Amino acid sequence: MLFLSPLLLWFLAAASVPIAIHLINRRRHKTIRWAAMQFLLKASRESRGKKKLRHILILTCRALAVAALAVAAARPIVSGLIGWGGGSIDTVVLLLDRSASMEIKPGDGLDSRRQIVLAKVRDAMADLGSARLVLIDSASGQAQEIPSPEVLDTLSTTAATDTTADFPALLSRAAEFLAETPGRSEIWLASDLQASNWRAEDERWAAARAALAALPQKPAVRVLSITGPTSANSSVRLLGSRRSGDELLLDLEVLRSGEARGSSSIPLTTQLDGSRTTENLTIPGQSLRLQKRVALPAASESGHGWLSIPADGNPRDNVAFFAYGPDRPGKSLIVAAAGESAGYLELAAAPPGFGNLETQRVDPAQAAAAITADLAAIIWAAPLPTGPAADALQSFLTSGGHVLFLPPGIPSTTTFNDLKWADPTEAPAGKFFILSDWNRSDGPLSDGIDGTPIAADRLKAIRRQIPLGNTTPLARWEDGEPALIRRVFDHGTAWFLGSIPDYTWSNLGDADVLLPAIQRMITAGNDRFDASYIAKLGSPASRLMPGETRSRIDDYGSPDPANSEHEAGIHRLGERLLALNRPPREDTPEILTREILDSILEGTNYTLLDQAGQAGDPNLSRDVWRAFLIAMLFFLISEALLCLPKKTRQEAIPQANPSPISNN
Amino acid sequence: MHDFIDNDLLSRLGSLPIESRVPMMGNVAGKHRSPHRGSSVEFAEYRKYVPGDDTRRLDWKAFARSDRFYIKEFEADTNLRAYFVVDASGSMNFAGGGESKIQYARRIAASLAYLLVNQGDAAGLSICTDKLHLEVPPSRRAAHLERFFSTLGKVEPTGETGLIDALHTIAEKIGQRAFVVILSDLFTDTAALGEALQHLRYRKHDISVFHLMDPLEIGFEFDRPHRFVDLEDGTSLVAEPNLIADEYKTALREFLTKVRAKCHDASADYQLVTTDTPLEPLLRDFLTARLPKSKH
Repeated sequence: MLFLSPLLLWFLAAASVPIAIHLINRRRHKTIRWAAMQFLLKASRESRGKKKLRHILILTCRALAVAALAVAAARPIVSGLIGWGGGSIDTVVLLLDRSASMEIKPGDGLDSRRQIVLAKVRDAMADLGSARLVLIDSASGQAQEIPSPEVLDTLSTTAATDTTADFPALLSRAAEFLAETPGRSEIWLASDLQASNWRAEDERWAAARAALAALPQKPAVRVLSITGPTSANSSVRLLGSRRSGDELLLDLEVLRSGEARGSSSIPLTTQLDGSRTTENLTIPGQSLRLQKRVALPAASESGHGWLSIPADGNPRDNVAFFAYGPDRPGKSLIVAAAGESAGYLELAAAPPGFGNLETQRVDPAQAAAAITADLAAIIWAAPLPTGPAADALQSFLTSGGHVLFLPPGIPSTTTFNDLKWADPTEAPAGKFFILSDWNRSDGPLSDGIDGTPIAADRLKAIRRQIPLGNTTPLARWEDGEPALIRRVFDHGTAWFLGSIPDYTWSNLGDADVLLPAIQRMITAGNDRFDASYIAKLGSPASRLMPGETRSRIDDYGSPDPANSEHEAGIHRLGERLLALNRPPREDTPEILTREILDSILEGTNYTLLDQAGQAGDPNLSRDVWRAFLIAMLFFLISEALLCLPKKTRQEAIPQANPSPISNN
Repeated sequence: MHDFIDNDLLSRLGSLPIESRVPMMGNVAGKHRSPHRGSSVEFAEYRKYVPGDDTRRLDWKAFARSDRFYIKEFEADTNLRAYFVVDASGSMNFAGGGESKIQYARRIAASLAYLLVNQGDAAGLSICTDKLHLEVPPSRRAAHLERFFSTLGKVEPTGETGLIDALHTIAEKIGQRAFVVILSDLFTDTAALGEALQHLRYRKHDISVFHLMDPLEIGFEFDRPHRFVDLEDGTSLVAEPNLIADEYKTALREFLTKVRAKCHDASADYQLVTTDTPLEPLLRDFLTARLPKSKH
């Protein structure tokens, strides 16, 4: 609670006047010589208890009435954001969530959540009077002093972006700023509480809390959350992009808001190098994943475009940008001795007549020389490498390549980054090792983009070698032993599959598992070349390198030049062509629960002001002097009622001077 | 001249006799009924002669008519002896802004004593505290009044009340029936008061009680806290009168009810009198109420 006329609060001291008068009156008693003392003593004894309590209540009512009048005169302001614990605040640090999800509107015709929260903060700051406002927005992460709250919603640093927010980092930044700022301060976190922005599992929260606790004057933390219902919304996002010859394969996902029911038809507009086409997509439920093939102009080296859906509740999630470069063959290397196994591997890596794929088999001895940077994937069906070959493989992995290790078929103690093969084992006579459990959402055995599963359960093995190492299996044999494991090396990934496509080992060569697995690895390895044309906002690739300048070259929407580094679009960074999209985490609808918020802000004694369902209420603060006047009236009426004589029937004192009682 | 004597008042009340409610046993003939049958002028009754009767009182005419002996009896009139018992305890000194209770008692006692002596009756005075018991024996002589007034004027109320002891003493000491007028605020134990009145009643005295109270004692209206100092024993109490007024009045009401009941039980005339009451109507009503019905 704040006061527009705080000086009048001095009149609160007047609340003590009734008590002082009472005490003075008690001291200023008059002495009287009294005869009827026996009644006085009896009355004094009997008047204790209820009478005293009544008198105390009367005094309390008088004091509170005066206090309420003084408070009302001081023009109190109650703000949900400021709360009742407010007072004179020197600095307010506003941590503003400028992520794409903040642009959703609570209802048709209303402002976005970001605009609503800015208006509320502006009004609250106007009530605070002379408090200093410092903005740390989620896009730039920089502290910026705001000269006047009135201009808050006109600043480029409060404008909409396609970025995500990183609240542990923002809170740490606020703590750093306040460490150098004396005086009483408050931190206001304005957000839609999107779980992905708050990163509850992030270890940096502990550091942020510690930094806040270490401040000489602990700031009050207030969370202004804008949640609740929203207008209907759909979003489109690009899951992947790959050029295959003169086609661009775009993996898309169209999401509908949680309230949407039934199927709906959404027009999807594709813009490629200036030409637009529109088609209708039928979305059967909440989401639709599809692969869109876009024919590229003949002999096109590179280009860009976007996919969009019509404007709706959130204008920031209706477009996905893409860019592409020259066609690159999917090159792979098979390191294996010649034989049946190598043959199956070659067929799986470059099936005849299947796209622009190239493969080459080399013996393990020549592997070191054959490993080059333009390879998409390497299939290593030999004892684990050592020496130069291991170094070359390590370098390939680090640069983003994918390597599939298959068992050497013989016992081997060689290790590669603490990973090794167990000795070969055979299934009991008449039985097989069957793949029974695999990850359907991650890895080379995951379901297709349209949800079609891989028939991995058809894999049966007579012999196997178990990959050993501290990793999480992505597939297991029926007996629980790992069949497929993964180890990530910086940008690249190494995979270990526990059997080989040889009829004396398994039916891996039947293509149910081997073909999609190897093709996906080659695609993933090759994507790192295409990925240089697509990045998400906030990633290292989206930032300017020394000597580069940024320009946005697409024609979608109304770009804000002052905010271009935080907006999705087709950007030219120096010589680089880059399609920048909002981070996928912005499309996740999960909202932070109160329990999680309690845990991540533990010890800050934060106040949560949830504006859920109150988007139409423009004010965070209210003038509540009337309430205090009503309170004063209440106290005065109570005092009057307490002062009323009791209604109990009192017998009259016998009249003096009646005619004498005659008993005769 | 004493300040508690109002000659005008006395002259106005002079026409009203003071009557006794019970037959008196005076020493000399007077205007009051006597319990004895005697040779007065007013025939009372005939009764049969019994041996031992004075033969001089035989009605010979009745004997001649009936051949039986009858004694003719007449009402005997005698004088009245009045005792004024004035409570001189410290509480009688209270004056809530007007006249003190002792001063008011003086005026009542002096006025009635004057009227009694003036009509040939005797008036005596008894002044009591817990330590002092002054007494002026009753006398019919006019010169006696000066002694009566002088003693009354010298009374200085102090200490606790000695009323109960004084009443018992009077009841025991006065052999003949008398008119006992009690002037007090009766701030004493009501049970003991009842016993004392019953004692007087047993001795067949005519009792009148003037219960004197100050208007402030009854109204108990104050505008600020007060320190109340007991006039009798000096104890004090600081209180907010407004807070305890209800309880005070309840206790007072109980006290007055008890006192009235005790007086009623002892067949005593009881008057609750506040000290702001004009004396003339008070005494006129008192005297008029005591007149025999036929004289009204």
